[in-house]
Amino acid sequence: MRLSVIREVLRNLARRPSTLAYPVRREVTVAPGHRGRHYADLMKCIGCSLCAVDCPANAIVMEKLPQQLKHNPRGIYPVVDYGKCVFCYQCVFVCPVKAYVTSEHFEMADYAISTSRELSLSSIRVGGQA
Amino acid sequence: MLRVRTEGEEVVEVSVNTGYNHRGIEKLMEKNSWIKGMYLAGRVCGICNAVHTQVYVQGVEKLMGVEPPPRANYIRTVVMELERIHSHMLISAVVAEIVGFDTLFMLIMRDRERVMYLKDLVTGSRVHADIHIVGGVKRDIDEVRRDKILSELKVVEERLKYYRKVFEEDYTLVKRLTEVGRIRTAEALRHCLVGPTLRASGVKSDVRFDDPYAAYSEIPFNVVVRDEGDSWARMVVRLEEALVSVDIVRYALEHLPQGPAVPKAFPRAAKVGEVISRVEAPRGELIYHIVSTGGGNPYRVKIRTPSFLNIINTEFTYLGHRLADVPVIFASYDPCISCTERVLVVDEKRGLKKYLSLRELARWGTT
Repeated sequence: MRLSVIREVLRNLARRPSTLAYPVRREVTVAPGHRGRHYADLMKCIGCSLCAVDCPANAIVMEKLPQQLKHNPRGIYPVVDYGKCVFCYQCVFVCPVKAYVTSEHFEMADYAISTSRELSLSSIRVGGQA
Repeated sequence: MLRVRTEGEEVVEVSVNTGYNHRGIEKLMEKNSWIKGMYLAGRVCGICNAVHTQVYVQGVEKLMGVEPPPRANYIRTVVMELERIHSHMLISAVVAEIVGFDTLFMLIMRDRERVMYLKDLVTGSRVHADIHIVGGVKRDIDEVRRDKILSELKVVEERLKYYRKVFEEDYTLVKRLTEVGRIRTAEALRHCLVGPTLRASGVKSDVRFDDPYAAYSEIPFNVVVRDEGDSWARMVVRLEEALVSVDIVRYALEHLPQGPAVPKAFPRAAKVGEVISRVEAPRGELIYHIVSTGGGNPYRVKIRTPSFLNIINTEFTYLGHRLADVPVIFASYDPCISCTERVLVVDEKRGLKKYLSLRELARWGTT
């Protein structure tokens, strides 16, 4: 009865390999809506700290905003440490003003962006108010 | 770890030592809030994370007096059944590999990726679902996603039927698995076995059927039972169960109730009390005992996982078999503890004592 498997194997010879040469060819796809890198949009954030309270990995720390960028009365904003983050999106869910900008970006094994600090602060500059 | 005492090739004594794999999750839950505990529960096991979250959340919902909406229950069911499909595919692949049928391992693992993609589509992550929240789910299923899952399930079902046929008819697999590690009905009951291991010994026991949770009370399905009780029966029960799960997912998606699934807010404090909540994980009955003294975090959470029973209580099944059958029997219980994947082989006549990994034992004598 091994014939049935042999037929399957022979059919696979004509197909492309199932594995991907990942770093050489970046063909890895994730489903739409994949929980990837996220950061707080400071034009919306009110600094309520709910995300930092609920974060199960304690990856979110509320930091003081620079003086010239004081965008909410509390003067604080969440910084996500992507090294600690487990991408459960509890912060995205719990946010009362839906301030988190989500993406499907999952390739985060680099030193260039290890926290959401830069991304969050640049969201203000994009807003053109600072 | 399995400590195996042999006389020549025949196994005469087996003792199980689970080692130190305590990660302090139960203690961490006492220190953290109810919501953080939900994510911790999911981290108990990578393969069955959605059922761990489900059993914790349904216990907490009882303590907080919250009822999830019907649509949320259906979505939870879909996620849990997708998880069951990929879990059963994984162990089928592992058993095929241990038997020495590496081609089948590769084929099943390739098709398992389809199910992982579907889970990614529904929850947003291949492995950790994290879709539960007290009083509902965090993410709804829209029409596009629903149609995509339904069309992909057709392919998965076809492949599962093919693998069931291979497991039922292939000469190598049948020779290696039948009459190996046989457990009779009375023995299975006496040793408190759970899940597919128990159902393969002819006992109709399934928490989804006996004590329905989530949407299982509204979904028609049959419990797969076989009477043979050997390793082969356990594998065929799993593959047939995966096919039943495909039907459950299809039914749940086609009969998805209208209405809200995502709650706007969730409670953060529970009443005083205690609750025992149980679900059917892919490996068997999973029980959480949650004690609350009121306030923002649990007083005590006790977890009883199914593999714990299935591995520790089955020492007797290895006796009288050959050493080469030990990894096959062990894998057929679907062990979910990566740290038990070692064997100490003691040969009394030759005075041999050797630590082996499961894979080395499976390949012993061939290299």
